[in-house]
Amino acid sequence: MIDLRPRARVVVAACWLAGQATLVLTAYGRPDRIFGFQMFPEASTVEIRLSRETGRGDFPAPRGEWSARDASGQLRHFAWRDRVRDPLLGSLDARIFASYGVDAQLARLQRALDDVIGHVPEDGETVRLRAAVRVWKNGRSPETVTLTSRARGSI
Amino acid sequence: MPGGAIRRWRDEVGSTYVLGHVRVALGLLLFWDSWRAARELEQGYFGDVFHWPIIPEALVASRATYANLVLARLLLAALVVAGRGARPALLLSAAAGGYVLLCDRLQFHHNRWALLCYALLLSLSPCDRSISVGSTGAPPGAGVGPLWAARLAQLQVSIVYLASGGSKLLDPDWRSGVVLLERTRLQAASTVAQGIPQGVVEWFSRPDVSSGLAKLAIATELGLAVGLWLPGTRVFALWWGVCFHLTIEASSRVEGFTWLTLAIYALFATPDVRARKFFYDAGRLRGRLAGRAVSWLDWLARFEVKPWAPDDLRRGRSIVIVRRDGTHATGVRALAMIARCVPLLFVLWAPLALLAGVTERGARSSG
Repeated sequence: MIDLRPRARVVVAACWLAGQATLVLTAYGRPDRIFGFQMFPEASTVEIRLSRETGRGDFPAPRGEWSARDASGQLRHFAWRDRVRDPLLGSLDARIFASYGVDAQLARLQRALDDVIGHVPEDGETVRLRAAVRVWKNGRSPETVTLTSRARGSI
Repeated sequence: MPGGAIRRWRDEVGSTYVLGHVRVALGLLLFWDSWRAARELEQGYFGDVFHWPIIPEALVASRATYANLVLARLLLAALVVAGRGARPALLLSAAAGGYVLLCDRLQFHHNRWALLCYALLLSLSPCDRSISVGSTGAPPGAGVGPLWAARLAQLQVSIVYLASGGSKLLDPDWRSGVVLLERTRLQAASTVAQGIPQGVVEWFSRPDVSSGLAKLAIATELGLAVGLWLPGTRVFALWWGVCFHLTIEASSRVEGFTWLTLAIYALFATPDVRARKFFYDAGRLRGRLAGRAVSWLDWLARFEVKPWAPDDLRRGRSIVIVRRDGTHATGVRALAMIARCVPLLFVLWAPLALLAGVTERGARSSG
């Protein structure tokens, strides 16, 4: 069924090698270096602290949890982990190992922020979510990177 | 001549016996990966929470589709192991796994991607001609087929090493040992908790040691990419690679990558069977035990195992091995040859070969 003729073997092999070479060489253009076979790229750690921007100012969301009123004025509870099950991104307020490197985790976190803000329609107060990320890249002194979600309802 | 080399690769045929073993190993790893996916599905469908698709969201598998896909992958993996419809099952497993990665790149791991690559390549090889449930019991060596796809899978091994080693070589933090040093420090507490002596951990936490190990790791990966292909270095490269991966397995979480790579290593074995002879003295318990053990553990069918009637050469020996070239190996050299050919003992090959070399020189110098 999958036995190829000799000429087809060469074509398949050429396409395979070209495809692999392309994926490996272009991996640097992807924040998570996906398909690039870059094993153990870093030994970095990150600590994510979540806060939310509202019309009354910024408020922290310790452990990724917060309460806000909906459009009818009823108080509701929200949790980051209800939406973000990834074990790394879901671990807030704790220093954790950044698998696949800092760039990969920051890119994922940015997507997660945008995703969560788009899935809390009952939160009538929060305009944006913000993550202050302390980054220890390969054990160096920490730097802080701030990521902000898109504004709610701006999809 | 590149044209000649390409033709030789394209038209090469050889024993397909080892391909069956590699297929079974990949089938088990595919099953294990699918089982993990099924367990994760029990916790919830990935599409209900934050995920990051590569393809448009509209093309992401729905909960029902994904559940069926996971079930299908389990069944396909079982078929791969059983050797029934194994090649289409490998191809479909690779396609299904690739689709899942396209649905959610958060599920990407290098080992999972590598598994799918090898599954696809193996599906193009005649890997269903041995080790199959319900087969006629044809002896090893009866199956001969084209090896071009198996060679391509071997090339994929080198691609992985080149990509991994090359990226480390280009990274100043990796080259200098900073990455390895920090990894060691981060894991120090858990390593000590696992029973590794504090002094050992502290020694590995020294910057000069990390720097040296980092260079060794880079050299290993780049060296394996080439050394696995050269006849003069292949066995040592395989041995070094086995030790390298077992070390990683002991020190890091890499899912099934160690076992995947070691399974693919079998493709580097010369594609023939029973090319060496293993004679044992059936009159001795030790000889009979050795014969039985080698028969059980010789998964790659390297030996023709036979009892002998002792003659002048073999008298006093429990085992004698006749190599491919017809020369004999006894004593430590025979043990080294067994270790070289038996997968479970392969890690012992280099020490035994070294010991055999030393003892031979000693015997020569003492006359």
